Amino acid sequence: MFGWLNKKKSASVAKDRLTVAIMTDRATNSEYPFMNELKAEIIEVVKKYVEVKEIAIKKEMENDMEAISIDIQFSQ
Amino acid sequence: MGTVIAVISGKGGVGKTTTTANLGLGLALNGKKCAIVDFDIGQRNLDMIIGLENRVVYDMVQVMDEECTMSQAIIKSKVNENLHFLAASQTKDKSVLCSQKVEKLVSDLKAEYDFVILDSPAGIESGFEHTIEFADEAIIVVNPEVSSIRDADRAIGILDAKSQKVKQGHDVKKYLIINRINPAMVESGEMLKSDDILDILNIKLLGKIPEDKNIIDASNQGKPVILNEKSPAGQAYMRIAKRLAGQSVPFEDVESTQAGGVFKKLAGIFK
Repeated sequence: MFGWLNKKKSASVAKDRLTVAIMTDRATNSEYPFMNELKAEIIEVVKKYVEVKEIAIKKEMENDMEAISIDIQFSQ
Repeated sequence: MGTVIAVISGKGGVGKTTTTANLGLGLALNGKKCAIVDFDIGQRNLDMIIGLENRVVYDMVQVMDEECTMSQAIIKSKVNENLHFLAASQTKDKSVLCSQKVEKLVSDLKAEYDFVILDSPAGIESGFEHTIEFADEAIIVVNPEVSSIRDADRAIGILDAKSQKVKQGHDVKKYLIINRINPAMVESGEMLKSDDILDILNIKLLGKIPEDKNIIDASNQGKPVILNEKSPAGQAYMRIAKRLAGQSVPFEDVESTQAGGVFKKLAGIFK
């Protein structure tokens, strides 16, 4: 009957698991609706100066801050 | 000009349709002219919950396709004259919806009613997207349970991306209803507390509904539980409806077994 005193209550296990799962979900799922257009335009601009091998655009989240990271690889 | 509210959840079976029916009726009982619309194309349910399944002649898809007029398709509630209902199509599938038609339907209703409540289908597919697209506000219904909360977060993410209000640079208001709270389980640490759920989802609380067997009894009869003044869930829905109608109603502690007087207190001790 008092076994639950010794182990972590399942509601707090649920909270911990949810916090991690939702943070991961938000990071992978959330994209701005304009991402594809932005990517196409950046390729156009950069192409004028160097040859582009690949562009990766990602939405990044840290606490309440949102940012876009743009990774441009040149072809050698 | 009324307010359009989409009732969404992500996961199915958490109480969207029950919430739509009860809040629609609750607003009507508080003097607001209210239309409730079943957007769950192919799986009509709201008509059963409000006891109007025998009165459906035309559905909302027929209104959108101009096979009938809005006033032909609108069904008036027998319980309260302020409550009107528009049924989902039972025969067609959700691919029949398109943005322009939904926009016209929603704005026509918005011009006529104080509140238009749209009962979204479960999931995050096109039917869901059409429900949220032209809504001013969204009510997210969750159960205190991991899969419901995770799916709700996903639905909120899509709401923020697809809502026309957001695209126009405005905010779409979001409120949370936590449904099927079992007070004894919350007290013993076996069920997530509402504070924890609010922390995780980071949206405003609209109300908490305790688990209540009167809900099944109410849907058996097609009489929303809000009509049962003795039922804890009915009382909770009435408090929420009053909040929506603009009244300031304090939050009740539905997460404690102590809330209901001495007998419940005793029951709590022996649990």
